[in-house]
Amino acid sequence: MGSGKRALDLISRRGFRKGWTLFIISFFAFFVVLPTIFILSYAVTDWSDIQANVLSDPATMDLILSSIVVSFEIAALVTVIDFLVGLPVAWMLARKNFRGKQFLDTLIDMPLAVPTAALGFSAAIFWAATPDPPAFSLAVISGPMLLIILLHVVFSYPYMVRSLTAILGEIDETYEIAGRTLGASRLTAVRTITLPLFRAGLVTGAILCFARSLSETGGTIIALATLYGRPMVEGDFQTGSTLIGLWRSASASDPTLLPALAFVSILLILLALALLAVLKLTIMKVRLPLRKVWPTSEKMLSRRPYPFFKDLSAIVFLVVIVLVPSFFIFTFVLTGASAGSLDWAPFVDSLVLSFLVAAVVTAVDLALGIPLALYIAKNRSGKLSQLLDVLVNVPLIVPTAALGFSLALFWSFLDIEASLPVLLIILAHIAFTYPLVVRNVVGAVEGVDPAYEETARTLGAKPIQSFRRVLYPLIKGSILAGAIMAFTRSLGETGATLAVVANANTAPVYIVDLVNAQEYSLAAMACIVLIVISYLAMLLLRRFTREEVV
Amino acid sequence: MPTVTLRGITKRFSDVTAADGLDLVVNDREYLCLLGPTGAGKTTALRVIAGLTTPDSGQVLFDDRDVTTLEPEERSAVLLSQTYSLFPTMTVAENILFGPNIRDMPDEEKERTLVSLLDLVRLTKRASSYPRELSGGMQQRNALARAIATNPDVLLLDEPLRALDARLRIDLRKELKSLAKALGLTVVHVTHDQDEALVMADRIAVIRAGRIVQVGTPQEVFNSPTSPFVANFVGQSNFFVGTVVASTPEGSEVEDDQGRRVKARPTDVPVGGKAAVAVKVGHTQLVKTGATVLRGTVERMLFEGRVVHVDVGVEDLGRFSAKIPASHRDRYHVGDEVGIAWSRNKAIVFPYPEGGLEDELRVD
Amino acid sequence: MPVVELQGIGKRFGKVVASAGIDLRIEDGEYVTILGPSGCGKTTLIRMIAGILEPSEGRVLIGGRDMAGVPIEERDVGYVFQNIALFPHLSAIENVSYGPIVKDMSEEEKASIPRRYLELVNLLDRMNMFPDALSGGEKQKVALARALASGAKLLLLDEPLSALDARVRMDLRYELRRIAKDLGLTVLHVTHDQEEAMTVSDRIVLMRNGRIVEVNTPEELYKAPKELFTANFIGETNLLDGVVVRNGSDHTVVELRDGTHVEAQPSRFGPGDAVVLSVRPERVHALETGLKAVIRALTFMGTYVRVTAEADSEDVLEFDVPVARGRDYNMGDNVYLGWSMSSALVYPRPPEGIAEAVKLE
Repeated sequence: MGSGKRALDLISRRGFRKGWTLFIISFFAFFVVLPTIFILSYAVTDWSDIQANVLSDPATMDLILSSIVVSFEIAALVTVIDFLVGLPVAWMLARKNFRGKQFLDTLIDMPLAVPTAALGFSAAIFWAATPDPPAFSLAVISGPMLLIILLHVVFSYPYMVRSLTAILGEIDETYEIAGRTLGASRLTAVRTITLPLFRAGLVTGAILCFARSLSETGGTIIALATLYGRPMVEGDFQTGSTLIGLWRSASASDPTLLPALAFVSILLILLALALLAVLKLTIMKVRLPLRKVWPTSEKMLSRRPYPFFKDLSAIVFLVVIVLVPSFFIFTFVLTGASAGSLDWAPFVDSLVLSFLVAAVVTAVDLALGIPLALYIAKNRSGKLSQLLDVLVNVPLIVPTAALGFSLALFWSFLDIEASLPVLLIILAHIAFTYPLVVRNVVGAVEGVDPAYEETARTLGAKPIQSFRRVLYPLIKGSILAGAIMAFTRSLGETGATLAVVANANTAPVYIVDLVNAQEYSLAAMACIVLIVISYLAMLLLRRFTREEVV
Repeated sequence: MPTVTLRGITKRFSDVTAADGLDLVVNDREYLCLLGPTGAGKTTALRVIAGLTTPDSGQVLFDDRDVTTLEPEERSAVLLSQTYSLFPTMTVAENILFGPNIRDMPDEEKERTLVSLLDLVRLTKRASSYPRELSGGMQQRNALARAIATNPDVLLLDEPLRALDARLRIDLRKELKSLAKALGLTVVHVTHDQDEALVMADRIAVIRAGRIVQVGTPQEVFNSPTSPFVANFVGQSNFFVGTVVASTPEGSEVEDDQGRRVKARPTDVPVGGKAAVAVKVGHTQLVKTGATVLRGTVERMLFEGRVVHVDVGVEDLGRFSAKIPASHRDRYHVGDEVGIAWSRNKAIVFPYPEGGLEDELRVD
Repeated sequence: MPVVELQGIGKRFGKVVASAGIDLRIEDGEYVTILGPSGCGKTTLIRMIAGILEPSEGRVLIGGRDMAGVPIEERDVGYVFQNIALFPHLSAIENVSYGPIVKDMSEEEKASIPRRYLELVNLLDRMNMFPDALSGGEKQKVALARALASGAKLLLLDEPLSALDARVRMDLRYELRRIAKDLGLTVLHVTHDQEEAMTVSDRIVLMRNGRIVEVNTPEELYKAPKELFTANFIGETNLLDGVVVRNGSDHTVVELRDGTHVEAQPSRFGPGDAVVLSVRPERVHALETGLKAVIRALTFMGTYVRVTAEADSEDVLEFDVPVARGRDYNMGDNVYLGWSMSSALVYPRPPEGIAEAVKLE
């Protein structure tokens, strides 16, 4: 008892707390941020190489630029679509109470439980007009761009809806009602009052959505491979990320590709960061003038049956465009080939590896991400905290393939790629899951009245005691949500894994190999197993802490 | 219980000065009310005592000990916030035992403390309820019990009754005060409500713009304000503006530019100096017949239950208010001419404020 | 035709009954306060009038028209919220202009009306400021101007002053009534503060636990409350437990717990009835003889001293003395208290006990 108290006193001392904060921030800087953007230094160190091999080669430049343009086009379209169809659903979740609301809530999160590799495959076999399409599929799409857009819409959908729901939940409904008492129809009130107040959250949702699409690699590669019926080659339709993925695997045998690979990564990262900055700075400045009203038409649109149709079409979209393609893979089982030919041993090995990595990654994210989140949330006015808040978003913006590549370069001095590839994979996965935990926890802590902990302190609680007894119970739900996001994200990640270690063998990579080898029924089998197991893991995690979550 | 001293406290938040050379002494076992308008810096003062806000300069002393840099958990100053901040995931009993649990109090002692406190605040039957299930008054009592459970050196109450209905406030004032006295607590009670301060305080410290402008017993602050602001804030006052024309040890006389001359207490303001004379609304009398120096027209009569508030417009002077017993209501009507009078020793003469009277009296 | 009429209004949230059996008529130009403790259903009531909530039963009529199915924006009712709800992204003048704009008034009206109402509340010079730069009282005035600018003749105020400092409240409440009367508006003002209600209202609607207790002018409610709850809630009063001994034509004699006899107004009770006697502090005087009580507390109230005394019957009585006479009284002294017959009212003793019957939460 005595030593426990002494330990408590020690860690509560101001000096210790400062040291701990320093450690947390250093971890973040050195293990998350720096490796992610390390590739940018390549522009400085190997500029001559880039000039020689890339800038002076029109064909390569052409390829690079067109793929980047395509990436941005897709991301923009996806963001707009997700906003238009996600907003009504977010509205229903945030503002209305109806039977089945819980059910809808769970449905939204489902795409998160499906690993990107599996989702890419599932969506592709549903939509793609391949020579021999499976039963029940629509098989209408033959253009790669449209297919990718439909795929990305599914990936980004939960991010958009969750962000919008969170923000809508924070805007007091009283403002809208006030507008209506002044004579505004429902639609007018929403348009002129709620949406402007909503801007900050809208930007967050849009950025997350955009970034997710921009950085998406694994599922895209698999989808295109399924469409073409063969592995991707350079001449195919390319997004920036698929190009990076392609060149990364090729660069193992052909080092001359490195400058080009570096250049496209750098370009993609810089443009994404620039866009992030522009969006954040301008959207808050734009004044939405109130001059224009169309009272009669807006009033009409506010009455039935228009709102009903709006909600109905949003739900239909959710089901047809998001859910069915995500889970289409299950029908493949009913109609497809046998599972007997699946080579279980290596698949199980890959599953174990994936889960191991995901578990370690989530644990590290929580242990070191929560303290950083606490620092940011509690020091809002400090410059350092604001800087950290911005930097936390960087790994989310950087395309996972570029991230993996950058990370591999950063850690190359350790020379562990051969000896301990798992460690590299873990480090890579930490980089893009850490921000998910931090963002969730920051949001949660900011929603808690600081008076609770302050009162606890005056009652004699040291900071660590106040956290454990007062703050933690109130943010448990968000910590769990962050943990689930990190776990499922790591489980499903393909692009970064491929990019960081040449022949990693996580489960998603295994599936990619199967698809490239056109072993579709086996790939489907593997996908289903992966989906079921990750969904169970998610449920288990939820159930485990359900009693404690208020 | 130590004496709590704040010496020369200053604190600035970006463009707002919350404390501007604040000096305050709270005596052992005293119930001190810190009274002032919103934004005066009352909450900042409390937070500085508690250690939740570090002052830019100045000292906080418990007896002779300088605690200015001490962490909140190392002082024994418990803060009760305006919204009570009852821990939502803990029951009433668990909330009360928070402090004792932190201090590793022996189980037997914890049990005794809990039972006696629950009894003291009349929450014995609700010990297993959660804060959200309690009414406003019950929450307040729960928060109080929690604060007392640690036997603090000083109890800091931040507008503890503000969130309650007007009627409930009046009932709980008595309960709160008698509890504090029974337990011999040192209390600093922040409020914007002068009625509350008058009824509850052993001493009142009036705060404005980050400074203490007057400290005294309720009687002292009410009857002998040291500035027009205090004269009007602690019990509304009527003001007569003019020049001092006579000043003797027995009293003074002030005359305005219309030649009206009124009597007041003795004053230090020199003859010829511009002055503002303050008379409490409660000490202002209406005169139906007979000649008075000030005459005006009844503009408004507002029923307040036991009294009627009468506003009289005096030409070139402004509004004078008075209270008359409800039973006298029929004697006056809107539009009547009435006289205004007061006893000489109820009128206080202040030097006319530099920035003008309106600015001096502003609370918003 | 009354401006607002409520017929048999009731509201349930699941199993919880927020209000029931509400019948009310508000006439044109009246300033009516809806008064009661927290949770009594007063806010629910005006929300039903505004259309923010739909009643579970009964009808709301505004201007004689049944409001069933009529959405908020078509009821033409001004509403000022408890937490002000000024649109944070618009300046003061833009806030006030909101009504005229969404009602598509003429260009000339859109320009002049907002300025007129901001001027009315003396905030024209702050018109370009944003809500976060305004003080609490200023925000409330802008909210009022905004509600008025939309052209509504019926104004609903939901605890408009509760969030403000005591002194600011006092100044603003007179303003509200003055503006309402000058503009000929009908006002329904919700509050928990009985002092506020008494000073501004033409009539007060006292509510408790979802029902109307009593409706009357402030003076009548104060002088002759019909219910025990009213006697205790509006103004202060002393409540004494007793049994009727004798009922004469011009007085009632009541025996207190310790056997002392006191007098009250004539009533309809007979000998043996259990009653509660209510007499206000300002009507109680210390005399040569009367009800014996021991002084337990003396409280300085500014212009008077409140004396708290306990009688042998264990009833607690409070009365006031001028500050100058305060020195004559000390803790532990005996005093003999009396009052005129007409000052004391008699009520049936509630079966659940006095404390339960008058409690506020």
